[in-house]
Order: sequence, then C-alpha cells, then structure tokens
Amino acid sequence: MECDRAAGMLSGLVDGMLGLFARVRVTRHIAGCSECAAKLEELRAMQVAVRTNLPYHRAPPGLAARIGAALPREMAPREVRPWFRMPAFGMAGTGLAGALAGVALTVLVLGGQPGSQGDAVQSVIGSHIRSLQAEHLTDVLTSDQHTVKPWLSARLDVSPQVVELKDKGFPLVGGRMDYVDGHQAAVVVYRHAKHVINLFAWASPGKANTGLRAESQQGFNLVTWRHDGITYYAVSDVEADQLEEFARLIVQEG
Amino acid sequence: MPQDDRRRRFELLALPHLDAAYNLARWLAGNTTDAEDVVQDAYLRAFRYFDAFQGGNFRVWLLTIVRNAFITWVKENRSGRMMFVPDTPVAQTADTEETMWGSRPRDPESLLLESIDSQTLSRLMEQLPLEYREVLLLREVEDLAYKEIADVTGVPIGTVMSRLSRARLSLRKLWLQQAETENAHGV
Repeated sequence: MECDRAAGMLSGLVDGMLGLFARVRVTRHIAGCSECAAKLEELRAMQVAVRTNLPYHRAPPGLAARIGAALPREMAPREVRPWFRMPAFGMAGTGLAGALAGVALTVLVLGGQPGSQGDAVQSVIGSHIRSLQAEHLTDVLTSDQHTVKPWLSARLDVSPQVVELKDKGFPLVGGRMDYVDGHQAAVVVYRHAKHVINLFAWASPGKANTGLRAESQQGFNLVTWRHDGITYYAVSDVEADQLEEFARLIVQEG
Repeated sequence: MPQDDRRRRFELLALPHLDAAYNLARWLAGNTTDAEDVVQDAYLRAFRYFDAFQGGNFRVWLLTIVRNAFITWVKENRSGRMMFVPDTPVAQTADTEETMWGSRPRDPESLLLESIDSQTLSRLMEQLPLEYREVLLLREVEDLAYKEIADVTGVPIGTVMSRLSRARLSLRKLWLQQAETENAHGV
C-alpha cells in the first residue's frame, strides 16, 4: 500500500471504523513507514485533545420555551398522513428532499402487533425519554452489580438479571424503580459510549420464555424477551445491532 | 392524528436533543444569537417534516436538519465565501480582542506547548474551514459513525474518513503555528 492511500485511511484506524482487511493493510503499511506512523500519532493526539478539551455549548435556558412558542404558528391545518404509511420517496418535489437528503429512512414494521404489546412499547419509550430529560436516570448510582441487584430486589417483586458488561463496552451505571404499562418495573441502566441503555424488567408470572425480538419505534431501538417469568425491554438510541448484541450478552451472562 | 398528539410526540423526541442541536449550531455559526436562530429554524423545519421521519436515529435526522438550516442561514445572511473561513494566519487573529467569531481575549499565561486548553482549542477550531469543523464535531462530540456522518453531510463515507484526517491534521498544524508564535513573542 502506498502512503497516499494509507494516509486517507489513518483516521479510519483512529476511529476504529475500518473493516478487517483494510485495518490489516493499513497497520502493515504503518509498521514499515515511520512517516505514516508519526501521522497516526498526531491524529490520535488531536482526537484526545478535541474530545477532552473542546467546550460543549449547552442550549441557553430560554431556547426550549422560545421554540415551543414558535411551534403553534407553524401548525397551519394540514392533512397529516399516518407517518408509517408515508412512502420514503413520496416527499420528492415537495421541498423536503433537500432537508432530508442523505438521511437513511428505515421502514418500520408496525403491523401485526398485539395492542397490549404496543402499549408496553410506548410506555417503555416514554420512561426512557423521561429518564434522559429529567436527569432522573438512577435511584442507585453505582457500577457495582452486587449493589444494584439487592437494591432492586428489596423494593420490587422481581429480581432481574444484573450483570457487569464493562469489558464488552456496556458499563453499568445504576438502577431505578419505575412504573410502566401497569407494572412495577426494575430498570437497570447501562451506557454505551455516550448513549444510555435502559433495561426494563417486570414480573410476568407463568408466561413462557421467548427469544429476542427487535423493533424500532420513534427513533429508538428496542429489544424484548421473556425469561424465567420476567419480561425484559432494552431501549436506547444506540444502533440496532449494538442493542441486540447487548441483549444477547445480558441473556448469556445472566 | 390530532395536532396535539403530533406536537407532543415531536417534543418528546426532539427536546432531549436540544443541547446537541445547539452545540452543533453554535460551533457552525460561531456565536450565540445566530446559533439560536438556526436551532429554532431547524426545529420548526423538523416539526414540519416530522411525518417523513421513519425511524432510525432521531438525533442524526435532527442534526442533518440543523446543518441544512445553518447552510440556508449562511446563504441568506452571509456572502458565499464566508462558507469557507478565510485562511488567516494564526498570528493575526491571536491578538485580536474580539474576533468576528466572538471569541474571548486570550490568556497568554495559560498557553502551554504540551497541552491545549479549551479556549485555545476553541479559537483554533473556529479557524478551521466549515467542512472540517462539522466532521470533527459530529465525530468527536456526537460520536457518530462514519455512515451517520455521511448521512448528515451528504458525502460518501470515504470522503468522511479522509476529511477527518485532514481536519485533525489542520488543527494540529494550527496548534503548532500558535505555539511557535507564542515562542517568538517570548511567552
């Protein structure tokens, strides 16, 4: 591999975004090229500098209210088609194309869902959003699974699986109690990079075990399963495959 | 669906990402007032086109709209060449009390060669061309995958990767120039 080609891929190496073959080829090139090796170190240094030192500008206090006040004026009566039936390319020529260019539009499959399950999904998503908004993410804040589990068990009628997955990229943050879809629920909170994963668990006595079922709703990914009379819902805005990986790990390690 | 429901659903989804939207707009626009206008415009657009959101990552969808709202704003409020931040030598802007980006006066004592403080980094970031700044923000602050950055910026993934390399190296170069200037001034 030549320097020019390798140089363009160095950031991919820094970010861990290269496929296996590309990674092997670039790594091999760097082993024999001190110039590219030095460049790689510079890129790494800048990544650390920006990630640790770049100020984060939070929205000013009044902005949410200002937007809220502006919204109704935008709400001229118009036909609102059910969003799940709107074809992905139906907006071409309506001026939306520019605003939405390049956004991956995932088709949701909503049909065939029993109503009660849909309610549970809505309820879980609502709780997930509230936990992020109100900063009421955890009642017990600890990365120690041996603290979270007894804390939840002492307060609820379920004793959910609480496992430490830090080595797998899902550090445990803590736990809280919640009330979703008519159930007292235990919520075990994990993180993945900067994203929060809420793992809901509530008692479903006498119901059969199920496998993992993934879906996507309102921009969030969910994975649900039932095990030992407990219904689990994992919800987050991490990518679908990562959330499934997370769910698999919970089932395996539990 | 009644408008109230639609609005409630939109707020539930969009408000948690207000900080992310504002931070991106603030770094792109360079000051608070303009950033607020851009974010407000983006939220109104997002609400208008909410029915077209078909799942996936809402934050990525929203950031795409923030970016597009910013570009529209630039076209309406600034001359086209402002899209590309002038290649001003660091030495010229470093001593300016208030740059056009509204950065605060520097504190020479705190400038160390070994480490970069937030204020210096901010100023150097603001000197980067827009296309470099946005990929750095989306990658280092928003932690988006290359595919998502490609979606937001509308360029191929390979371009995202090489642009990130150039952005990081440009920032590094600005940093070194800055350090040399400080040395020359005997700080």
